[in-house]
Amino acid sequence: MFQVPWSEYLPALGDGLVETVWFTIIGFVGAVVVGLLLALARLSRTRLLRLPAAVYTEVFKNIPLLAIIFLTYFGLASVGLRLDVFQAGCLSLVIFYGAYLSETFRAAISGVHSGQREAADALGLGTVRTLGDVVLPQALRLALPGTNTMLVDMLKSTSLLVTISAAELMSQGRLIASATFRALEVYLVIAVLYFAICYPLSQCLLWLERRIRSGVPLSPRRRRRLRVARLLLEEAA
Amino acid sequence: MTQSAVERDGVMANAEPVVLIEHLTKSFDARVVLDDVHLRVESGKIVSIIGQSGGGKTTLLRCVNLLERPDQAELRVAGETIFSGPDLVCRDLARLRRKVGMVFQRFNLFPHLTAVENVVLGQVRAGVPEKAALRKAVELLRRVGLAHRALAYPEQMSGGEQQRVAIARALALTPEVLLFDEPTSSLDPESTGEVLRVMRELAADGMTMILVTHELPFAREVSDWTVFVDGGRIVEEGPPAQVLGAPAHERTRAFLASYRDG
Repeated sequence: MFQVPWSEYLPALGDGLVETVWFTIIGFVGAVVVGLLLALARLSRTRLLRLPAAVYTEVFKNIPLLAIIFLTYFGLASVGLRLDVFQAGCLSLVIFYGAYLSETFRAAISGVHSGQREAADALGLGTVRTLGDVVLPQALRLALPGTNTMLVDMLKSTSLLVTISAAELMSQGRLIASATFRALEVYLVIAVLYFAICYPLSQCLLWLERRIRSGVPLSPRRRRRLRVARLLLEEAA
Repeated sequence: MTQSAVERDGVMANAEPVVLIEHLTKSFDARVVLDDVHLRVESGKIVSIIGQSGGGKTTLLRCVNLLERPDQAELRVAGETIFSGPDLVCRDLARLRRKVGMVFQRFNLFPHLTAVENVVLGQVRAGVPEKAALRKAVELLRRVGLAHRALAYPEQMSGGEQQRVAIARALALTPEVLLFDEPTSSLDPESTGEVLRVMRELAADGMTMILVTHELPFAREVSDWTVFVDGGRIVEEGPPAQVLGAPAHERTRAFLASYRDG
């Protein structure tokens, strides 16, 4: 059945995988930052922040990712703003998934009980600490399942970048298929490769979700604090 | 001026109260919840606020640390004017709130943090060094009888334990006054007993407290002054024995009767 000389194409597949991973990492980090800023803006008391954020979210949630990819790569180029394939690809992912993640984050932040903010206020924690130490850590737990789904979805969506020949896994697959004329075999291998990274990734994320939910301290600051607390408690006992 | 100095000099009436509320008015939309209310809490005293649900007790309490902003009031807390007329005078709300501890009906512990971290958080924000803050947190947890639960998360604790952690958290910044908003209303009788025991000890230590409560026997036992609020107004106030034992006002009598029947 296998007639494609895979050993010849291994470097190409490897490069494609690495590129796919880079698109995913940069796209996701960017989308989280944009999503968080949008969510905070939408929850702000200032209309001037709320309104543009809402418009942005609604616009980009309702445009296909492929249209955004073409707009950033071909569209912007036609008005003189030439982005290379990698820039245009990352930007598209950030724009599109930023809008989606902002919805997840907004729901998560408003899902934190109002009593939590009040307790933080009553302790004089101040806006920044209240957000950083009380609201966001709790919102994180609520946002995690949706965010994780989004991350895996984004990884798969990088394959749409084949349309601008972004040198990621799907683009490599297309090159191999057109060189060998073995579409079924090539795209099966490509599909298996996507599965081979997406499945462990989602399992890892589910594991992380469970850890965080069970209250395991992840930040070094909390670990240190709890270690000292344990020492003091032993000392006292 | 310290409490002992006040008592020695016998100038109680002239001493600066820890909390002074005058002409406090507050409405939510068109509904007036507090109407020209006055309250004076001297250092080391315990004032209990009683009355029907929805009568404005909790709102009154929440105005002290400005969780609720009055429409109109003269507010002085810990020697500083924080609100005057329709204006917020206090420029540093965080600093004010560190001088006023608050304990909520639903505990409101931070569920993602252990008991000891709950007690540490405010201190660290206030600039207390990490180790000293932890030391104090452990000591406070011991004081409320929960040193052995220091590393437990709120959901692993009973209601009574959670509320005692919340008291430790409120004490961590050595506030000048503690506000209690129906601290035992969501507790079973056994947990209520635990929490009241801790509050009794605080009272014995001379902590200044304002207590919104339905525990009338407890209010009578610990407070120096009892205020009956109804329909957004202070209907009657005085020593608890008088307000709860021999109320002068018809509405107070009706409230106490309904309390006994309920």
